[in-house]
Amino acid sequence: MRNVKFFGNIPATKSRYGSHYGEKIFEVGRERYREWVPWRSKLSAMIVKGYEVEFSGNEKILYLGAASGTTLSHLADIVDEGMIYAVEYSAKPFKKLLELARNRENIIPILADASKPQEYSGVVEKVDLIYQDLSQRNQVEILEINSKFFLKRRGRMLMMVKAKSIDSTVEPREVFSLVLKEVSEAFEILATGDLEPYHRDHIFVSGVRK
Amino acid sequence: MRKLSYNLWFGKFEEKVELAEKLKESFKSARNNSPLPFNISDLGMEIFGKDYYKILRKIAIEVAEEKMEKELRSDEKYVIALVKALEELEEIINVLKEKKSDLELVKGTEIQDDFAESISNLERLKEKVEKEIEVVMERIAPNLTEVAGAKIGAKLIEKFGSLEKLAKAPASKIQIIGAERSLYKALARLKKGKEAKMPKHGIIFLHGFVRNLPKNKRGKMARFLAGKISIASKVDFFRGELEEGLHDLVKKRFEELRRK
Repeated sequence: MRNVKFFGNIPATKSRYGSHYGEKIFEVGRERYREWVPWRSKLSAMIVKGYEVEFSGNEKILYLGAASGTTLSHLADIVDEGMIYAVEYSAKPFKKLLELARNRENIIPILADASKPQEYSGVVEKVDLIYQDLSQRNQVEILEINSKFFLKRRGRMLMMVKAKSIDSTVEPREVFSLVLKEVSEAFEILATGDLEPYHRDHIFVSGVRK
Repeated sequence: MRKLSYNLWFGKFEEKVELAEKLKESFKSARNNSPLPFNISDLGMEIFGKDYYKILRKIAIEVAEEKMEKELRSDEKYVIALVKALEELEEIINVLKEKKSDLELVKGTEIQDDFAESISNLERLKEKVEKEIEVVMERIAPNLTEVAGAKIGAKLIEKFGSLEKLAKAPASKIQIIGAERSLYKALARLKKGKEAKMPKHGIIFLHGFVRNLPKNKRGKMARFLAGKISIASKVDFFRGELEEGLHDLVKKRFEELRRK
């Protein structure tokens, strides 16, 4: 995968930047890598579990639910020639996210509610990929409306789903099958899988817009 | 037919682009009800050239900074006001209940039903306020909320004045805040050379893990809980992300003390 290298079992991303959230830095010759711990990032867990996500490096990405920017920082290392629009609603983690955005030329921070893409429709361009990591009950709906606004035809999506935040009263397996059914209305599903043992009762879903 | 017009972060588009004077203002109002039929970056690059992203980033950061500061301040003030309201409400409900039973003792009349109705209305209001405190606390201090509970967390923020002050306070102060009177009483006795009992807990006595232990273990639990509350509020203030596992530590300690 582009700009990703394994150090033992742990992936790391090639980076010109220092540590963002306390992760280790590995030096290999002149290159510098930032450790990407699967316990901290669902995307890392997915990669550790053997799933590949292809990047050419110049993608335009809309990132919904960027929180304090842990995963975002590595994604920014990977698409070093692209641009990431990072949406986060909660002001608290945004502080840390802003620190990151000030350093990285390929991150545009947006403090807004991801369920209302209207609000940032005059800011975000058409994107190649929507990455979504929201713990919200209607996260599929949020993905769909954002796709309508910003995702290119045949654009990709990658979403992280936490069973508990969608419905904590039924079995995770039931939640996941419902989510997959809903997602498949607008997307052709490419891959899906769990993130055990790094993130319990979570799955990822990747797809292409129909 | 009405001409289509689009709000863009750098201005308005109606057949052609009308650049905004203040980009920060146009960024904030770049709202559209339906998707743009063109790619905004293509249009923007025609105008700004390769500086497009540089300018966009600068404005986005400025706007986000402003919005964040404003939201954080107003949320904290809001939760403080809610906690104060809650305390008053609890007081009022207690007083009303007392008066109602006083009346019952003297003479049974219909007016007691009116009292009962008012009390249940106030209790509903109280529940609403508690729910709202939970929602706001979850947003501004998720770790503190998980470890201490929304209500106690909010009370601590109120007592200290802000999350920042709570985050920077020593754990020993967190342990006894709310018990100042007994602390000063104890200190006064010590000064006179007498024996004195130091308070073990203030606000955090309200926490189920402290209250539900036998008396001789409450101090231990209070000290431990205060330590974790201190860590939680620091994580909330400086990092802002949920740190899983903090609450489990507190729960484990409680189980230990209960078994001993």
